[in-house]
Amino acid sequence: MASHVHRFEGGALNLTQVGPGTEVRVSRLECAPNTCQRLREMGFCENAVVKKIRGGADLVCWVCGTRVALSARLAKQILVEHVDGRS
Amino acid sequence: MNQETSKRWVAVVGNPNAGKSTLFNALTGLRQRVGNYPGVTVEKRTGTAYTLHGEPMELIDLPGMYSLSVRSPDEEIALKVLRGESADLPKPDAVLCVVDASNLERNLFLVTQVMELGLPVLVALNMVDMAEAQGVRLHPDELSQRLGIQFIPTQAHRGKGLVELRAALGQKLTGPGPRRWTMPPPLAVAVGQIAAAWRESLPAELRAEGKALELLAGSNEGPEGARKLAMAWRERFRKEAYDWSAAVVNARYAYLQNVLKEAGVGVGMSGGNWTDWIDAAVLHPVAGWGILAGMMMALFVSIFSIASYPMSWIDGGFMYVGGWLQEVMPGGLLRDLLIDGVLAGVGGVVIFLPQILILFFFLGLLEDSGYLARAAFLLDRVMHRVGLSGKSFIPLLSSYACAIPGIMATRTVEDPKDRLTTILIAPLMSCSARIPVYTTLLAAAVPVALVPVWQKAGAMLGLYILGTGTAFLLAWVFRKKMLGGGSPPLILELPPYRRPALRTIFLRMWERAVVFLRRAGTVILALSILLWFVSNFPRTSEEPSAKLAGSYAGQLGHWLEPVIRPLGFDWRIGIGLVASFAAREVFVSTMSIVYHVGGEEEGLIEAMRKATWPDGSSIYTPLTCLALLVFYVYALQCLSTVAVAKRETGGWKWPAFMLLYMSGLAYLGAWLVQVIGRALGF
Repeated sequence: MASHVHRFEGGALNLTQVGPGTEVRVSRLECAPNTCQRLREMGFCENAVVKKIRGGADLVCWVCGTRVALSARLAKQILVEHVDGRS
Repeated sequence: MNQETSKRWVAVVGNPNAGKSTLFNALTGLRQRVGNYPGVTVEKRTGTAYTLHGEPMELIDLPGMYSLSVRSPDEEIALKVLRGESADLPKPDAVLCVVDASNLERNLFLVTQVMELGLPVLVALNMVDMAEAQGVRLHPDELSQRLGIQFIPTQAHRGKGLVELRAALGQKLTGPGPRRWTMPPPLAVAVGQIAAAWRESLPAELRAEGKALELLAGSNEGPEGARKLAMAWRERFRKEAYDWSAAVVNARYAYLQNVLKEAGVGVGMSGGNWTDWIDAAVLHPVAGWGILAGMMMALFVSIFSIASYPMSWIDGGFMYVGGWLQEVMPGGLLRDLLIDGVLAGVGGVVIFLPQILILFFFLGLLEDSGYLARAAFLLDRVMHRVGLSGKSFIPLLSSYACAIPGIMATRTVEDPKDRLTTILIAPLMSCSARIPVYTTLLAAAVPVALVPVWQKAGAMLGLYILGTGTAFLLAWVFRKKMLGGGSPPLILELPPYRRPALRTIFLRMWERAVVFLRRAGTVILALSILLWFVSNFPRTSEEPSAKLAGSYAGQLGHWLEPVIRPLGFDWRIGIGLVASFAAREVFVSTMSIVYHVGGEEEGLIEAMRKATWPDGSSIYTPLTCLALLVFYVYALQCLSTVAVAKRETGGWKWPAFMLLYMSGLAYLGAWLVQVIGRALGF
């Protein structure tokens, strides 16, 4: 977990910044503790692979075999990296 | 030992959208009982199911949840039942976990938590057909072996796998073995120490570990030694910036990923299936809104067109009974009571049952098909502007049926300020009890009966929009200006589109019909008899209108008239307003009684149209009908809602506020209609 933290400081990519259809890996959650916990329980835990389905003001992701809608505000707090390692 | 306690109790748990209620309905059929948990309004649903050997067992359908970490009152209740801490339910003998087979990783997350409660666990691997259609390979035996609990494939909506499930529930189930997921090192040490302090009073290792995790999360229950240790470890983790709760979630998921991989269960990825195709239209920023508006319009049109047939049958039935009583009974007080009191009162309300059932049918279709979550998603942007999240949409939509389940549904809203705001505005959504009032007043307002259905539906939709628009405006005032603070972000599962299980929807409609008819047969019957009495006694005259004017009800109406006169309402409407404080639909039955007592033989609408002021001018002008409609859009004419709001908010402060602001709004709205209408020359 710690290795991801160092890797994304400065130029971190968040979930709103990737295009629809892109698969990314969750690297860090930067929201309030309760929200973080809910996100993890819904499958957005560190290292989970997530596919963004729809962008926009609110977005839809495919995670753990289901579609989950998130507000853009929250998606900005989910830091991700490309599955192939690109940032 | 009595029969209740000797029965086996099985708690049914699962994620939302896993098909839990469908499976519960398939196992219990009509042998269900709906009630509330003591002290709270979370709906408690229990039902009797039978094993293959015919032994009865009681199933408890718990609210859907993603985890046992308590964040909402719904989850708190579920956890209490599972721990055996619920005041009116025994500790379950076993837990039936319903999991969505196409979404195993996340569904099994909850299962691993339930296993730590130490109860025997059985898993219904539900919707296997849909999972296989998505390319997910399932190996129930492998899963059973790796997790140490039995997995039974089911298709609840088709009734498949139920025999196997009943057979398994009939066997003696044993508790799960030791924990199989690996706790990360620093946490494992902490949990080991805390669990050891617990173990003196709790010998089962798995349960002691579960309790240790609860203590770390902030629970205050347990031996002093364990509590002190948990506090020390919590402090240490905080200083070291070690997020132990994240570590637990991540470790569970890592374990489950491994289990699924080893068991050969493939996880399908999204891409190009028909749910995505439908979503492209339904969630489209422009087309999506058009679809939502179309759905709502279709709902209101069907409430008027389809419902008119059964309504005329019910009306005919009551008229037949009234005519028959008129013939066979000798004239006198008893006949008057039965015809003008009981039949007019109860019949005036029961006639609206078809419209209410259509509303529940549509809500059921929208929910079960998966559309409701999309509507919540679409509306999140709007809700966000007024300070709420899309999650408040579902309680608000339920409030169109009835504010009571709507207010109960706010228990899924996690943020307390959001929840309070949703409760405060929920009664502004036009509930089904307003349908009779709206229908009657609209018919009285428009003199020609041949108005096309779409125009009636449009007028009705207008009233719904008025209530909803005001609710949103007030949500902004309450949430942003009065309560303050930010609104929580949206996290919402969008389930795949499914063919709705009609059996489940019909069962729900049946339940609602029973509740509605029970109310008609009790509260409304009692109020109808009371109203008949107060509008017939004391008998000061035999002339019908003088008799009503001199009665107790007439005296009350006259006393009230100066207050409501600026709204264009007379003393008879005053009687209706007071009586409908019990429940809005009572307005219609009251008017039926008031006008039948007045001597008119015609139907209520005809009688209302002919009603005049002492100077001979018409009372029910279109303007007054509109003022009365606006009054009913806003007024909190429902004591049950006040009672539920009191229980939900934990005191009288907020229900009193609700009653005051809504009554003020109703009065002001109706007065403005009169003032503006007259200024415009109507």
